[in-house]
Amino acid sequence: MTEQNLKRVRKKRRLAFLADLYAVLMYTLFYIPVAVMIVFSFNDAKRNYSWEGFTTGWYGKLFSFSNTTLWDALVYSLIIAVLATVISTVIGVLGGIGLKKFEFRTKKFINMMIYVPIIVPEIVLAVAMLIIFITVGIKMGMGTILIGHCTFCIPYAVVTIKGRISGDNETLEEASMDLGANRIQTFVRVTIPSIMPGIMSAAFLSFTLSIDDVVMSNMLAGASQSTLPVLILSLNRTGLSGDVNALTTVMIVCMVAGLLVQSLIRRLISKRRAKEGALLPQEEG
Amino acid sequence: MKKAMAKGLALLMGLSVLAGAASLPVYAEETELNIYMWGDYISDDLIAGFEEANGCKVNLSFMSDNADAINKLTAGAGSDYDLIMTCDAYMESLINGGYLEELDTSKVPNAEANLNKAYWTDDIHNYCVPYLMNYIYVVYNTETCPLDEITCYNDLIKPELAGQIGSVDGARNLFPIALVALGYDPNSTNEDEIAEAYEWLTKYNENVVAYGSTEQNMVSGAISVMFTYDGNTAWAMDQMGEDNPLVIAPFTEDPVQLGIDLYVMPKGAQHQELAYKFLDYICDAEVMAANLVEFPYSCPNDAAIEAASDEYKNGPAFDFDYKTNIFFQEDVGDALPVYDQYYQMLKVG
Repeated sequence: MTEQNLKRVRKKRRLAFLADLYAVLMYTLFYIPVAVMIVFSFNDAKRNYSWEGFTTGWYGKLFSFSNTTLWDALVYSLIIAVLATVISTVIGVLGGIGLKKFEFRTKKFINMMIYVPIIVPEIVLAVAMLIIFITVGIKMGMGTILIGHCTFCIPYAVVTIKGRISGDNETLEEASMDLGANRIQTFVRVTIPSIMPGIMSAAFLSFTLSIDDVVMSNMLAGASQSTLPVLILSLNRTGLSGDVNALTTVMIVCMVAGLLVQSLIRRLISKRRAKEGALLPQEEG
Repeated sequence: MKKAMAKGLALLMGLSVLAGAASLPVYAEETELNIYMWGDYISDDLIAGFEEANGCKVNLSFMSDNADAINKLTAGAGSDYDLIMTCDAYMESLINGGYLEELDTSKVPNAEANLNKAYWTDDIHNYCVPYLMNYIYVVYNTETCPLDEITCYNDLIKPELAGQIGSVDGARNLFPIALVALGYDPNSTNEDEIAEAYEWLTKYNENVVAYGSTEQNMVSGAISVMFTYDGNTAWAMDQMGEDNPLVIAPFTEDPVQLGIDLYVMPKGAQHQELAYKFLDYICDAEVMAANLVEFPYSCPNDAAIEAASDEYKNGPAFDFDYKTNIFFQEDVGDALPVYDQYYQMLKVG
C-alpha cells in the first residue's frame, strides 16, 4: 500500500469516528430527557425536585388504580387516538390512491388544499372549529375532539400514503387484472399489500399526532373528561407527582415493545417469503 | 377505575365507535355537575363525599392555563359547565362582559357565614365563591443570602443580591412589585409609571438567575432568595426538612400580591341547583378543613382554618404577619398592551 492510500484510509477512519461520535451525541441529546423522566419515576419524593432515594412506590400506586383521574384520562386519550387513527388511515388510503391514480378536474386544487391543515397553525384550526361547533350547536365532547384530531391526521395520512404509491404498483395491478382478478380483488390483494408500509406509517403517525395533541383537545374538550396531555399540563401548575412519571414510563415501554414486536413480525414475514421463494417484490419498511 | 376498565374493554372489543358516538350530544341529566378547574387541586374524598350526599356524578375537566377558562367563557362554550374556576384578576371583565350568572348568595349560607369578606369583596361578591388563595411573597435562605434581612421590594435590586434571586414570571406578577417599590398603584395604568417600573425591573432582572421553578432552585441551592407563591414555599420548606433555613421576608410596609382562585357560574349553566349545593358544600368548615390537609394553601374560609389541623395552622409557609397588607391584580384595560410591550423589552434585554 502506498503512503497516499494509507493516508486516505486514516482520513476515512477519522471521518467515520467523527460520524459515530456525532450520532452518539445526537441520540444522547434526544434521549437524556426521557432517561431522566424514567429515572425520576423511581424517586422516593413527594415532588420531583431532587433525587431522594429509590422506590417502586409510584408504580404500586399507579397499578393499584387508586388514581382514577389519570387512568380515565389515558383511556379517553387512547379511545380517541385509536378512532382517529382508523378514520384517518381509511380516508388516507382512499384519498392517497385517488389523488395519485385518477385524473379529475379539481385534482390540483384538492392536492394543494390537503396541505392547508398541515400548514395552518393548529390553534387557528382549533379556534375556528370551536366557533363552528358552538354556532351549529354541537355539544363539546369526545366527538368534537375526534373531529378535530381527524382534521390534522387525515392530511398527514394522505400525504404519507400518496408518497408510497409508485409506478410499480400500477404494473402489478394491471398484471393482476390480466390474470383475471376483478377490481376489488386487485385492490384488496395487490394494491393494499403493496402500499402496506405506507399505510402503517400513516397509522402510526396519526396515532402519535392524536395521542399527544394538546391544543385541539383543550379547545374542543367537553365538560365530562380531559385527555391525558391536557391533564398533565394542568397538573404541572402545582408540580407533577411521581405517578405521572410512572405512567409515561409505562407508555414508553409499551411503545418500544410495540416497535420491537413490529420489526420482529416484519422479519419473520420476509424470512417466510424468502423461503417460499415468492416472486413478488419484497417490501422493505 | 371500573369506568376506565369498562371503557378499555369496549375499546378492545372494537365497540369504541359506539362509545364515541354515544358521548356526542347526550344532554347531561339532572344528576350531573360539570366543573372546569385546575388538575390536582381538590380532594378526591371531597368530591366523593359530595357525590354520595347528593346522589350525583361530578365531572371534572381540567384547564392548562387560566386563559383556557376565559377562552371557553368568551367563546360561548361556558354553558357546557356548571362551575368554572378562574381568578380574581379576570372577574371585572367577566362580569362586565355578561359571561356570568349572578349568584343568589342566600343559597350558599356556609359561604356567607365562613368566608372572610376581605377576600370576598363587594364588587365580586355576587358572582363568585372564593376557593383557595396564593400569596406571592419573598422568601430567603438565612444561611446563604448575602443580605441579613429583606424587608421591602427595593432590597431585591441591591447589588449584593446579584445572581441570587429566583422569581416567578409574568408581566402582571413582576410589574406590580416594581410599581409598589416606586410608590405607585400596583395596577397603574399610567404609561410613565409603567416605564419607570420597567427601569426598576431591569435592575431586578440583573439579580435574577432564573424565572420559574423557584422552589426547585431553592432546594438545590442555586438561589438564596425567591419571589414566589406560598404553596411553592411550603413544598420547598417541606423538602428541606424541619430545621430549614428559609424565612418569609419580614416586610414592613410594602403590600404583597394575593391571587384568589374562585368558582364562577357561567351564563346558562344547566345544573344550577346542584352547583349551589356544591359551592355551599365546599364552604362547610369541616369539609374545607379536610381538603386543606391534602392541599395546604392559604384559604379565605376562616371557619375552616379554625377547624383545620394544627399542622396546617402552624404551616411555616403561611406564618407571616402582613397577610392583610395585600393588593389584588386588577383589570388594567387599555394599559395591558403597554405592560406587554415593556415586558417584552425586559425579556429581550
